[in-house]
Amino acid sequence: MLAIKIWNYLKGYVIIRIKGLTLERLLNLALSKDIYLWNVNRINSTTIEATVSLVGIDALEEIINKSGCRVEIVKRVGFPFILSKLKYRKAFVVGLVVFMCLIIFLSRVLWDIEIIGTEQIPKDDIIELLNKNDIRIGKFKHQIDTDEVSRLIHKNYDYLSFLDIRINGVKLIVELKEIDIEPERVDTSYPCNIIAKRKGVIVKIVAENGNAVVEKGQIVEEDDLLISGVVNSEISNDTYLVHANGKVLAETRYSHILEVPIVKIDKVETGNIFNQWGISINDKGIRFLSGDVPYENYIEEIVEKSILNIEWFPFKIVNYIYREVKIEEIKQDIEFLKTSTKLEATKEINKQLSDSSEIISRNAIYTIDGNILRTKVTVDTLEDIGKVQAINSN
Amino acid sequence: MKKGMDDIKMSITDALELPLDVTLDLPKITLIGHLKINITNHRGIIEYTKELIRINSKIGMIKITGESLEIRNVLMEEISINGSIKSIEIIS
Repeated sequence: MLAIKIWNYLKGYVIIRIKGLTLERLLNLALSKDIYLWNVNRINSTTIEATVSLVGIDALEEIINKSGCRVEIVKRVGFPFILSKLKYRKAFVVGLVVFMCLIIFLSRVLWDIEIIGTEQIPKDDIIELLNKNDIRIGKFKHQIDTDEVSRLIHKNYDYLSFLDIRINGVKLIVELKEIDIEPERVDTSYPCNIIAKRKGVIVKIVAENGNAVVEKGQIVEEDDLLISGVVNSEISNDTYLVHANGKVLAETRYSHILEVPIVKIDKVETGNIFNQWGISINDKGIRFLSGDVPYENYIEEIVEKSILNIEWFPFKIVNYIYREVKIEEIKQDIEFLKTSTKLEATKEINKQLSDSSEIISRNAIYTIDGNILRTKVTVDTLEDIGKVQAINSN
Repeated sequence: MKKGMDDIKMSITDALELPLDVTLDLPKITLIGHLKINITNHRGIIEYTKELIRINSKIGMIKITGESLEIRNVLMEEISINGSIKSIEIIS
């Protein structure tokens, strides 16, 4: 019934009031002319109200005039009447159409480019790259091929571990993840600071780009700012960001301490063995004692043997073997120890040094504390302690 | 499953049986409770008031009495009346 109602609404209908004496004859006439009437309602003896479709109203009026009745339109319902009303409001219709067209048109245009996940690559760089390749704000969305954009970005930045390009509404979203290892090709376009990578005394500072904030002779700690990428303009009071670059030579110190006993204790087996037996059940043991261990110094060895050679069987025979040892003290040559420890400590330090560092001095200090020889080797080096740290402007 | 088979049997027999109203050109009066009456194959309205509706047909006049009667649809072949119906009388 709803479908019929909607159909009637679309076609349009009128509610009419017919006044007259021969209303039944009128209804029969309407029937014979195939005029569809519905909701025929008697109001009083001379009046009926009925609903008739817009198509039938003209034919009905003809009959009504013939039968000598009078007709009065109570209400006009339906889409055709709305249309005819709109005929008098042309500007409104034009406005509506223009508005719809504008909405459709504007929603087909790219309005924003969003870049998510950049750390080292500046966002402006990617946007510029896209702009250069004719992907800019104001372009139609259907002209943008996301695969093409993806290829383009991959071609220009080869150190991305993840890249996703999608068009969401009127927005082009570029989501990417950079590989943590900094690429060898230094990109000088993004602003950055130079910071210290270890503690040291500044010997020489050459700021090629940026503002040196430390002086010669100054002691810097790790992560201290050395060359700032924030530069004050010489003309105005504004500051701007640059890619700081430069060499910061500093004296740094590496040290390593080794401790070795002078008198070495050596255990020598005498060959005497004392055996004890036991049983272990699920790692809990019972030991059959047969007296204390008769040796003063010994090495204990525990051997478990499974009964029946089955893995899961919980009972195991345990053999406790005690081997007697004789302790011998060997006093080592101190001079020999000093040389060997110094060599070993230097080797350890060399592992930490970078290739570019220059060794100024190598020093070894020996202290004897009772039985222990402590060897401290310190190496002073001259090296570039600068490390790049990007400035996040966003 | 058995009920489904029965239904099919019913519809087949119904389909083969020729309907009376078509063959003999008789009106078909369908009454739904006391609220609605459908008359197909009628020959026009004789009288229409809120309490009484008289409809012409081949077998004579069909007289419907009730309260607040209203013609819902009126077509060449079919007429449908709503309202609370009290009696239907066929006067031949």
